[in-house]
Amino acid sequence: MRDRVLAILRCLIFVAFSLVLCAVVFQFAGYNAAQMLVAVVDGAFLRPGAMEQSLRWALPLFITAVGVGISFRAGYFNIGAQGQFYVGAIAAAFAAELLRGTPALIAVPLIFLAGIAGGALWALWPGLLKLRSGTDEVITTLMGNFLAGLLLVYVSAGPLKDPAGSGQQASSRPVDAAYRISDSLGLSPTIIGIAVVVGIAMWLLVNRTSFGVLASLAGRNGTMVRWQGAKLWQLGLSSFVISGALAGLAGTIELLGPNGRITSGFLPAHGFTAILIALVANLSVVGTAAVSIFFGGLASAALYLPIMAGLPAAAIDIINAAIALFITARSNLLDKLLRLGGRAQ
Amino acid sequence: MNDIVIAILRSGTPLVYVTLAGVIAQRAGVWNLGLEGLMIIGACATILGIMLTQSFVAAILIASLLCIAASVLLWFVIEKLKANPIIAGLGLTGLGIGGTALAVESIFGSQATVTAPFGVPRLGPAFGDYGVLSIFVAAMPFVVFAMWLLLRRSRFGLQLAASGEHPFAARGVGIEPARMRLVALAIGGVLCAIGGAELAGGSLQFFAQGMTAGRGFMAFAAVIFGASHPIGATLAAFFFAIAGALGIRAQLMFGDKVPHDLLQALPYLATIFGVWLSGKLGAANTAGAFGELKDQ
Repeated sequence: MRDRVLAILRCLIFVAFSLVLCAVVFQFAGYNAAQMLVAVVDGAFLRPGAMEQSLRWALPLFITAVGVGISFRAGYFNIGAQGQFYVGAIAAAFAAELLRGTPALIAVPLIFLAGIAGGALWALWPGLLKLRSGTDEVITTLMGNFLAGLLLVYVSAGPLKDPAGSGQQASSRPVDAAYRISDSLGLSPTIIGIAVVVGIAMWLLVNRTSFGVLASLAGRNGTMVRWQGAKLWQLGLSSFVISGALAGLAGTIELLGPNGRITSGFLPAHGFTAILIALVANLSVVGTAAVSIFFGGLASAALYLPIMAGLPAAAIDIINAAIALFITARSNLLDKLLRLGGRAQ
Repeated sequence: MNDIVIAILRSGTPLVYVTLAGVIAQRAGVWNLGLEGLMIIGACATILGIMLTQSFVAAILIASLLCIAASVLLWFVIEKLKANPIIAGLGLTGLGIGGTALAVESIFGSQATVTAPFGVPRLGPAFGDYGVLSIFVAAMPFVVFAMWLLLRRSRFGLQLAASGEHPFAARGVGIEPARMRLVALAIGGVLCAIGGAELAGGSLQFFAQGMTAGRGFMAFAAVIFGASHPIGATLAAFFFAIAGALGIRAQLMFGDKVPHDLLQALPYLATIFGVWLSGKLGAANTAGAFGELKDQ
């Protein structure tokens, strides 16, 4: 238990350190850092309607981040959440286009299935390559992100192109209004319900099933798990597929929820933020839920900053990046300090 | 024919410099996913430096110093704080993209592109059609050759490879792997600064937000595809540039009939195939699991 508290404390210290570092940099760049931090907190949580906006960003991020956590736990460095998210959204958009006209009660579940299958498929091939031929999954999933990005450009400017659309960004035809699960603000009981179900199911999977326990063990010591008779490649492939399926689910939610269509290059930071959330939360499901709200708040503040503090939205990207830079640090010195602090209490 | 060669040289040269930076980091055992961020810092600093000092040499010095500083930050985080190189590198990339956007906005008060009065010096009319190319294009073959000498034919290169592949063995014969990685990342910083400068000032003369548009990651893919050999990786970078140029050419000739996004996907598919093949053959793979340094 104390180790877990220490791990959380360490993460919080690095997040706080990154925020202070950013504040110093912004101060030097000629912005008022204190005003900026106030604006971030205000825009994320305090302003009227801010909590709803933060949740709107937090819920899809949470779903993807839980999936990322599952593959990281099993020892696979799947950094392809962005691509799996895109392919999920693309598959769902195709399904929505094919099913146009069918009653929502039939169509919506099928669209969800298509999105989940799309995300899972985009995680399946790096998983197969990794487990069958030992191909490094960091590279394959990274390349998968670019391929999915190009596929998104192609699909939204080609097969699914909105003929009425104009402007620089290609976008697909809007989804049938009957299929939407939220308005463009992006928060509805359906989405909250899906997130809660995913959270509970994944918590049970990780903590209360032999799969979860074995997969976590496999991440630490694959040889031991193999000697105990577990099928390592089944565990690994399932972890890849589950993480991809969840990213695909998040993509479907973004399609049927707030966005209503796919646009080339939409939500480009989704996967990266989800990886950050999983790492800050130390890969625990409950932690992921809490950390998602923090990063959802940052994402929502990004839209608010330019208006309030005269700061470019890039400021939030910089905060996220600074957290990424430090979050995996395992400084011995800091651990010693934390242990000393724990003893003094 | 000349114009397509010029187009390929123009788009390929920035990629080659950044790829070489990735190669030297890879030899030292560091998976450098911060290349994208370093490149955009180099591009932004060159253009702003030219505007500030009216001197190309001063601008490239400023860009190099900034990129070295950013590389040293990455080294500090992964070596001293023992952070995961891949996540830290992605963080550095985010810092570069966001930081340059913020810098432009805080100096000029808008997100518009920033145009410099002049760019990288050109070769001049003595070279005929090729006179429009910058001096960095002409220097590129020599830099590639120098990197090959440094990495494959020098004592330093051997020590660097030892630090990357067998840090413990390296330490056993009195090499300090941490210091070797610092040197490698610093040299990579200079190369990224040149790559960024060539991108922003080689044929264009402006800096736009996010103008690297994934070239740093493409360079990383070229490092892997080229098995972290300086010449192999250079060829891989040119393969990417040729695929890109052909994609644009195909679109100009056939309009929308050939989906050029799919042609652009070729380099990435080729990289996946290359990594799969090298995994099959049991070659390469110089980093530990999760891209961690091998002595941690």
